[in-house]
Amino acid sequence: MTGTLMQAWQAILGHPLFWVGVTLAAYQFGLALYQRTRLALFHPVLVSTPMLVLAIWLAGEDYPHYRDAVQPLLVLLGPATVALAVPLYMNLKRIRSYLVPVLTCLLVGGTFATVLAIVLAWALGAEDMIMMTLAPKSVTSPIAMLVAEQIGGVAALAAVFVMFTGVLGAIFGPMLLRWCGVDHPAAWGMAMGLTAHAVGTSRALEEGEEAGAFAALAMSLMGTATALLLPLAVSIWMMW
Amino acid sequence: MLLRGMTWLVFFQLLGTGLNVLLLPFLPGPIIGMLLMVVYLSLRGGVSESISLAASGLLTYLPLILVPPAVGIMAYGSEILADATAILLTLGASLALSLPFCGWLMQKMIERQDRRAGQ
Repeated sequence: MTGTLMQAWQAILGHPLFWVGVTLAAYQFGLALYQRTRLALFHPVLVSTPMLVLAIWLAGEDYPHYRDAVQPLLVLLGPATVALAVPLYMNLKRIRSYLVPVLTCLLVGGTFATVLAIVLAWALGAEDMIMMTLAPKSVTSPIAMLVAEQIGGVAALAAVFVMFTGVLGAIFGPMLLRWCGVDHPAAWGMAMGLTAHAVGTSRALEEGEEAGAFAALAMSLMGTATALLLPLAVSIWMMW
Repeated sequence: MLLRGMTWLVFFQLLGTGLNVLLLPFLPGPIIGMLLMVVYLSLRGGVSESISLAASGLLTYLPLILVPPAVGIMAYGSEILADATAILLTLGASLALSLPFCGWLMQKMIERQDRRAGQ
């Protein structure tokens, strides 16, 4: 006895790997589109997210169900964060030649970017939850998501804000830097990596090796500094 | 090879999780793991082939790993819409100001250091 077409479809939909498969397919599509067009607007995450939201909605499921289904992918986020230690270590030697400029820029520029976001969100009347989620927006997503969660924001929203910031930075960053007369590759990369994390870093790599290296360095340092200092600053602020 | 590198990454992640609960509740477990890994690599004086393989493999697919969390936006649609103007203005304006500021600051600092070195 053979099953009906309907039963086969139900079996596919109910398979534990179904949503992993849909996610992989949507990502591949986004990646292909990005590689063809080279447009920052078609970043794979930016393309596949709305596709998946639509697919989940059409299937009549909700986000908690989807999150449980793609747990095999999600569980890799922790080891991937640990893996950032490798590029950070590789760049440690580069810090030495421009130690003072890099650290000054990290502390002053990083604080400026973070405080500015919090103050703007507060002035525009955003809720506390949104404000805390906006604070780590300049940091690479795994760190931003963890930090947002720790300080009372929402990890999923943080990922969205981070992606939005990165894409804005990659599109408008080169233009803004040109207007301000920034042409030193180290300064160029530092600005892109510090404020626009991985997306800015990949744009800086297109500009040249030195810009790319400093962007990766700035991204790692900004991520670490934010992870270390932002939750600490927020808990001191709350106590005070 | 890949598996041995993965084992190290998972080991440091778990170590970080333990320390997060035990000593450092304000720092996420994977971040502690990352810092410990940097210390380990510095003591070791280099990145082994297996760790490098596993790390570069994972980091290549970092955007893919970030897709499921990003889909979480659908659970917060109403919160985003309620604060849409504030969110867009905050993200746009803070980037437009902080990105050129960082570049300008870094360039000034580098020029000063190079001038001093030249003297």
